[in-house]
Parts: sequence; structure tokens; C-alpha cells
Amino acid sequence: MVTGRPPTTGLRPPDARQGPGPIPAGLLDALDVAIQRLIARTLAGSRRAAGVGLGTELAQLRAYEPGDDVRHIDPAASARTATLHVRVHVPERALTTWIVLDLSASMAFGTAERLKADLAEGATLVFARMGVRRAGSVGVVAFGIPGEPGGIHVLPPRGSKPGLVAVRKLLEQGVAPDGERGEGGEPGSLADALARTFKLSKLPGLVVVISDFRDQRDWERPLGALRLRHSVVAVEVGDPAEAELPAVGRLAVVDPETGDLVRVDSSSSRLRERFAALERERREVVATELRRLGIKHIPLFTDQDWLVELGRRIR
Amino acid sequence: MSVADPLWLLALALLPLALIAQRLSHRRTRTYAVRFPAAATLRQALAEGADRRLRRHLAVGALLAALACLAVALAAPRVTHRVPIRAASLMLVLDHSGSMDSNDVSPTRLQAAMRAANTFIDQLPASARVGVVAFSTAPDTVQQPTTDHRAARTAIDSQQANGGTATGPALLLSLQLLHGAEKHHPPAAIVLLSDGAANLGISPVTVAQEARREHIPIYTVALGTPGGVLNEGIFGPTVPVPPDPGLMQQIAQSSGGRAYDARTEQYLRSVYQTLGRSLSTVARKRDISIYFLIAAGVLLIAATLGSVRTAARLP
Repeated sequence: MVTGRPPTTGLRPPDARQGPGPIPAGLLDALDVAIQRLIARTLAGSRRAAGVGLGTELAQLRAYEPGDDVRHIDPAASARTATLHVRVHVPERALTTWIVLDLSASMAFGTAERLKADLAEGATLVFARMGVRRAGSVGVVAFGIPGEPGGIHVLPPRGSKPGLVAVRKLLEQGVAPDGERGEGGEPGSLADALARTFKLSKLPGLVVVISDFRDQRDWERPLGALRLRHSVVAVEVGDPAEAELPAVGRLAVVDPETGDLVRVDSSSSRLRERFAALERERREVVATELRRLGIKHIPLFTDQDWLVELGRRIR
Repeated sequence: MSVADPLWLLALALLPLALIAQRLSHRRTRTYAVRFPAAATLRQALAEGADRRLRRHLAVGALLAALACLAVALAAPRVTHRVPIRAASLMLVLDHSGSMDSNDVSPTRLQAAMRAANTFIDQLPASARVGVVAFSTAPDTVQQPTTDHRAARTAIDSQQANGGTATGPALLLSLQLLHGAEKHHPPAAIVLLSDGAANLGISPVTVAQEARREHIPIYTVALGTPGGVLNEGIFGPTVPVPPDPGLMQQIAQSSGGRAYDARTEQYLRSVYQTLGRSLSTVARKRDISIYFLIAAGVLLIAATLGSVRTAARLP
């Protein structure tokens, strides 16, 4: 469902939310260069476009000069003026940026400087602000929202200020609240969101996937399909506490998405080692898959200066 | 095993209650469980056996066991065990009839008997109980069996020879003194010092048979020679007083003892040693609550150490 209406139910700002922090304009300008390089291949000239011809929009009609492509001669104008005229098109250079954003409950987690949701918000804002430059437009496919049909909420691509405002409004809604297993079924998964993005985005552009890639399955195939048409960047958001379990004695932990309650004795070094190994393996699988698909992988952690890290990784 | 205070055993019923309370408190876990997006990985690590399930229940198990031990200790458990008794009882039955005044044994039969008795007492260990029954026409001097050997000596040394020989009643009396009303009496024996020729009261052989039923052997020491005579004063007639070793032999055999004569009296000391070999035991009740208290203490320490190791130490 493509609507401009932000979801009013199903989202709630997390308690410890503090936002992504300041995003200096100078830094954005520097990032812009890197992003332009990143998407250069997807723009006209480097690859077969979805439409016909070099462009679709008429820029002007002018008299034929030797050297012009005869296929560009405009028959109607030539007949009327009795001299040969050619059509000159505006080249297709407006970029559509699709942001596939994870708003599931597991994003409201952070033990260092910020929440994972804050990082995702910051990355979204950076890509949205760069997307609306040069007459570009920004669309968002947010997933993991319990109240929405299919768990997915779509902001259609809009340019300039209205596009940014819509993104900001969505981000202000927060993330999905903690869920219990079997309550209204599974909210939309990453794979669903990627498939939906593939359906919506006809013209080549930039697709940014921002997620923690946690408890997600079968996302490789739809992501590969997107990769064939678009430039794709994957931003993986993580927290150091998820990678290693601290030795804090007996623990009861609950999965924010499924409500699954797990009791463990974290003083057992064997358990901590096994947990760290499994987590390492999981992240390794994500990185390997992204590398296999040829997708730029940007891991961001809550204990880092995420903006610097994003800038360093993107170029 | 028995308990002195069975009411305390009711406290054992608190143990299942404690278990139920612990189960119920598990239900509240969700209220303090920590949100943790990697809970699924943690569950996987648990499923792979990275946690020692046994150790998780160790502290609770030890605590419950300590409570159980405490409850049992309060109930004051006792064990019945058989304690060997070293204190055997001996009864010296001394004949001081008129015939004992004969001097066929140097200096007289009575003196020899008294010496033999005193020698016998000398050889007894201090823990042995010694009693004396002296008789002539009837049992006249009675000293209850006691560990005070001097009392027995006094009773022996005060005897004068006169009167008839009532061996049967004297043996019966000493038998009654030895076993009293108890069914399981400590080991006991009777030493009869006499010149035989019982001529008054119940037949000593009958008494000897009863003594066998009571497991009290009668050891006899026959004094005198066949040619023994008694001078009735300086001018009186000479009365022959032959001993009756056959009767003594019969008494000893019917009761399970042995017969000695004056020549073999030094072997009398073996009487006590023979008794020592057939030492019996008595049942004693002993309080063993201290062991339960120690066990409770050890378990309590184990439970404390176990829970300190795994107690939650959230920063």
C-alpha cells in the first residue's frame, strides 16, 4: 500500500531515545561526492536504462547539424519548417533513493552511546538528505511494524522538502513496541520489504538497506534481484553487547520481538564463548552474503561515532 | 533409628512448599528480564549444551537439603547400637561351715578358702564387680556385687567356721543377686569355695541346672582331703569330715563351669578370662543430631558459595 500517511499506530518512540545527534552540512557535502561515485554506474550511459532512448523529456528542437544522430530528427517539426530539426533530450539524471528501514522492536536496544534505532535514524537522515539533492526523490519502505498490513509501511518517493519532511515524520514515530509471540502474527520481514521495493522501484536508483540483519531469513535472493537494477548499500546496525555476553551471573533475558524468555548463567565461560562464537558466525554469514552479491557493507556500532564511520566506509 | 521430637519432622513439609514458591517466583521473571535482541542466539547456545544445567540447580538443591537436615536435626534422631560391656559380675560363694575348720589343709580349710578368694580378687580387673555370699547353716553374710573390691575382702575376712552346709540355698541366693530381674544380664559367674557335702536345703545340683539356663557358670573349688577330721574341742571326739569332690564336679558340670581342687586353685584366675571371652553387649541409644547439624552447615556453605558464584551482578 503506497500512502503518504505516516503510521499512527504500531510505533512508539523508545524510552532511551536520544536521536542521531548533529549531522554537519560540511560532512554531508563530503559524503555526497562519495555517494555520487557510488551511484555513477546506475545513471544514464553506464548501463541500460529502464525507459527508451537516452532520455524522455524534451529539452529543445534545433536545426540539424552534420554529425547529429539521424534517429533524433523530429519528423513533424522538419515538415512544418521545411528544414531538418532534431530533438534534444534532457538526460535522465534525477536519482530516486529507496531506503529499506528496519523498525522492529530489536532496534530499540543500545548499551553504549546510542540506541541502534538512533543510528538507523541518523543513517536514514543522511541518505534522505543526500537523496533529495539535484532534484532527487526519497522513498522509504519501513518493515517490522505490527499494526500495518504485511508489517510494511511505504513512503512513496517524493522530492525536495516534502520528501524530507515525510521521512522525518516517520522517524519521529519511533520503532515497534515489544511484542509477544503469536500476537497478530509476524510483522513484515526484511525479505518482504526487499521484494516490495523491487516491485515499486522501476527506474534505476540507489537502495539503502538499514537493519540489524537479526533473525532474518531468505533475504539474499530479493536483495540480489535489487542489485541487478540498482546500486545497493547495506548498513548493518549493531551493539557491542550483542556480540559478547558480559559475565554478570544469572540473567533472564527476553527477546523484544518474540517475547521469548531465556534464563542463563552468564558466569559460565563456556556459555559466553559459545554465544560469542555463534554471534560471530552470524555476522560472518551476513558479511559473506553481502560480499558475494557485490553490495557495499557498512557496519555501524552504537559505541562508535557513527557519522565518521559511515563516511569512512562509504568511499 | 528413632526420633525424640517427631513434631519437628513436620518441618520437612515446608520443602515442597519452598519448591513451589521458587517455581512461582519464576513466573515473575518477565518483570525483571532484560531486553536482549540476541536472545535467540543465546537460546541456541543453551540448546547446544553450553550451560551446565546441573550447576544451575545445585545451589537450590543444596539449600533445600540443608533445610531438610536442619529439620531432622531438630527432631533429635537417635540410633540404637550395641555397646560391649567389660564389667562382668562374679559372685564368691564361701562355705564357712564347721567342717571348714579341719586342718587337713594348711592352716585350715577356711583359711585356705579365704586366701584363694583373696588371691582371686587380686587378679580381677578393677571394673569387675565382685559380690560375696558366705554360708553355713544358711546364707548369712551377703555382699552385693560391686566394683568396690575392699567390701568383698572385708566380707570374706570376717568369716568363722561353724554350723552346717547349706550350699543349695547359698547358690540360689547368689544366682538371684547376679541376674536380678533382668533378662539380658551382663556376663556373670559364681565361684563356689566349699568342701562339699551339702547337707541342708535345696539340692545344689538343681540350682546348678537353673544357673545353666541363666548362662551363669559355677566354678567350684573343692577343699580338703579324704582323711580330714574335725576335733570337737581338746577332749572331744574326732569327727571325720571327708570332702565331696563328686558333688562339686556335678555342680560344675551341670552349670557349665569347671571344677578345681586345692592343688589347682591357682587356675582359678582363668575363670575371669573365660568370662571375658563371652562378653555380651547392651543396647544404648545415642543422639546423632550433631551429624545432621554438621551436614546442614556444610550444605549451607555449599549453597552460599554456589549462589555467590552465579548471583546476578548487573552493573
